Amino acid sequence: MGELQSIPWALIAPLFIVQLILMIIALIDLSKIHATNGPKWLWVIVIIFGNLLGSIVYFIAGRKQS
Amino acid sequence: MSQFSVLVQKELRESWRSFKLLWIPLVFILLGVSDPLLNYFMMDILKAVGGMPEGFEMVMPEFTPADILAASTGQFQSVGLIVLITAFVGSVSRERQNGTATLLYVRPISYVSLFLSKWVVAVLVAIVSIVAGYAASTYYTIILYGTVEWDRFFAMVGTYIIWICLVMAITLAMSASFKTVVAATITIILVLVGLIIDSFIGSFWSVSPWKLANFALALLSDYYDKTDFVITLGLSIGLIVLFIIIGIVMSKRNASTTKI
Amino acid sequence: MTLLTVTSLTKSFGTQTVVDNLSFSIEEHTSTALIGPNGAGKTTTLSMLTGLLKQTSGSISMEGINDIRRVIGFLPQYPQFYSWLTALEYTEMTAKLSGVEVKKARMQSQKILEYVGLGAALHKKTATFSGGMKQRLGIAQALVHQPKLLLLDEPVSALDPVGRREIMNLLKEIQNETTILYSTHILNDAEEMTDQLLFLRGGKLVERGSLKEVRTRFDEPRIKIQFSSPSEALQFTSQSELPATTEGSVVFVDIVLDQPTMQQLLNHLANSPFTVEKVERVTASLEDIFMKVALDHESV
Repeated sequence: MGELQSIPWALIAPLFIVQLILMIIALIDLSKIHATNGPKWLWVIVIIFGNLLGSIVYFIAGRKQS
Repeated sequence: MSQFSVLVQKELRESWRSFKLLWIPLVFILLGVSDPLLNYFMMDILKAVGGMPEGFEMVMPEFTPADILAASTGQFQSVGLIVLITAFVGSVSRERQNGTATLLYVRPISYVSLFLSKWVVAVLVAIVSIVAGYAASTYYTIILYGTVEWDRFFAMVGTYIIWICLVMAITLAMSASFKTVVAATITIILVLVGLIIDSFIGSFWSVSPWKLANFALALLSDYYDKTDFVITLGLSIGLIVLFIIIGIVMSKRNASTTKI
Repeated sequence: MTLLTVTSLTKSFGTQTVVDNLSFSIEEHTSTALIGPNGAGKTTTLSMLTGLLKQTSGSISMEGINDIRRVIGFLPQYPQFYSWLTALEYTEMTAKLSGVEVKKARMQSQKILEYVGLGAALHKKTATFSGGMKQRLGIAQALVHQPKLLLLDEPVSALDPVGRREIMNLLKEIQNETTILYSTHILNDAEEMTDQLLFLRGGKLVERGSLKEVRTRFDEPRIKIQFSSPSEALQFTSQSELPATTEGSVVFVDIVLDQPTMQQLLNHLANSPFTVEKVERVTASLEDIFMKVALDHESV
């Protein structure tokens, strides 16, 4: 485990923070949007557990808009 | 002109309120960050994960800043392009398919402003994304691998942006010409399959718009043919104009297919 | 004054002719109803008037106007809006695109939205709108640039009875200020608000005129007699030698060449053993005329 501690988290943290922001934006959008393709709860799962890809897939395929 | 600005405002609102102007740049930032970080920590990660035989010495290649920027460009050229294309390929066709275009087409609008407003905003979102992605990548590259030459760096980003302008022109021209699904398929074939073909057998020719990203990276060094680069650049700009004209003509011709 | 003149308008898709040699004109400040069954070519005709569809042949003209799109307002049957814009943003955008001065666009949009009853929903996103609200917004975007001619495709067909009543009242009000051409397959609506009727069938104009003109042309005056029971009605029909039809306890006696007169019929009934509850002279409803026009041309 010594190696893991030697990893400078200050460098890696932004990666996770950006990913978290993306997920939060996807969730905010999901809560505000009128209708989605498929049930909303499914998209919540996709966004939370799908990491980066989950959020991208939601924005591209999940939003139903005119 | 006023009509054009009204339509640009509409497209900007769409991009902002659908969070396109936010999530696409964030995706590019993640793409840009991943390569410099992963490559740098590859050794540590492998060790931490374990499973290395005793005494195994892995020789990690020494990366130059140019190598890392090339790797990030590779990410933009695959995942990045797919994201940009799918985000904008419905821009014209979806409005016809769901009928929102009808109430615009019955007004005295010019299809030139209509198409250009969509292209300009798509390009704007794409440029913001590319710049954010390269900024993130370069930030880590400088910290972990060493500095880049700024004038060469900007030349590279600028050249890559021309390529993105072409990709967006193709995307929207196809959207104007076909239904969303067909447009997406054709655009992906033209752009991504084109890139794959060019990377396999592209050594037989020295000038092609699919080489523009390679030229952009080559600008970081001196090893490229300036004439080929200029011709490719001119060819790409010509194609941008051509696809914009196709988009305008097809928007007008397909106006009657809007759902009433 | 004539506002719109349509001459020999024809639209074909391949070998199929959807609108066939249509000619009519519309006077200023009148309402014209385009009536016909589904598939008669009503929407296609309106699409050509808006410039969405190009006609195969024929002409559409308005005196002194080059681009008709500048002076029309159009409401499709199912108007679709951008869900991410508010009602005010949407109307303001359409106003500007129709050539309303940028400075005036906002005020004009606000005014028209209040007029159609969306004053409380100015800043609501259109995604949340009900069917009736969408129709109101649709009318607002069609009126915001003060068009000379308002084209409405089935303006109330998709609404529930309450919404239909509200929109009809709104249209009747608008009727006083502009010229309206609207399509409908619901004849009660046409009866309520029309100066000119255009009957369309199979893409052809089969009948036209004011409601009164069409009525006199097609009216078959009848006398309706309400008996107390169906059996009485049947008995009456079989005994009398009048041209009559029975519907339950009601008998319709056709008046042919002014015969029989009401007087004759009343005398006849007075001497009969039946219990008569009601006797009245009826004129054909638009629906009867519609059926007649449709059937007439079916046999042609």
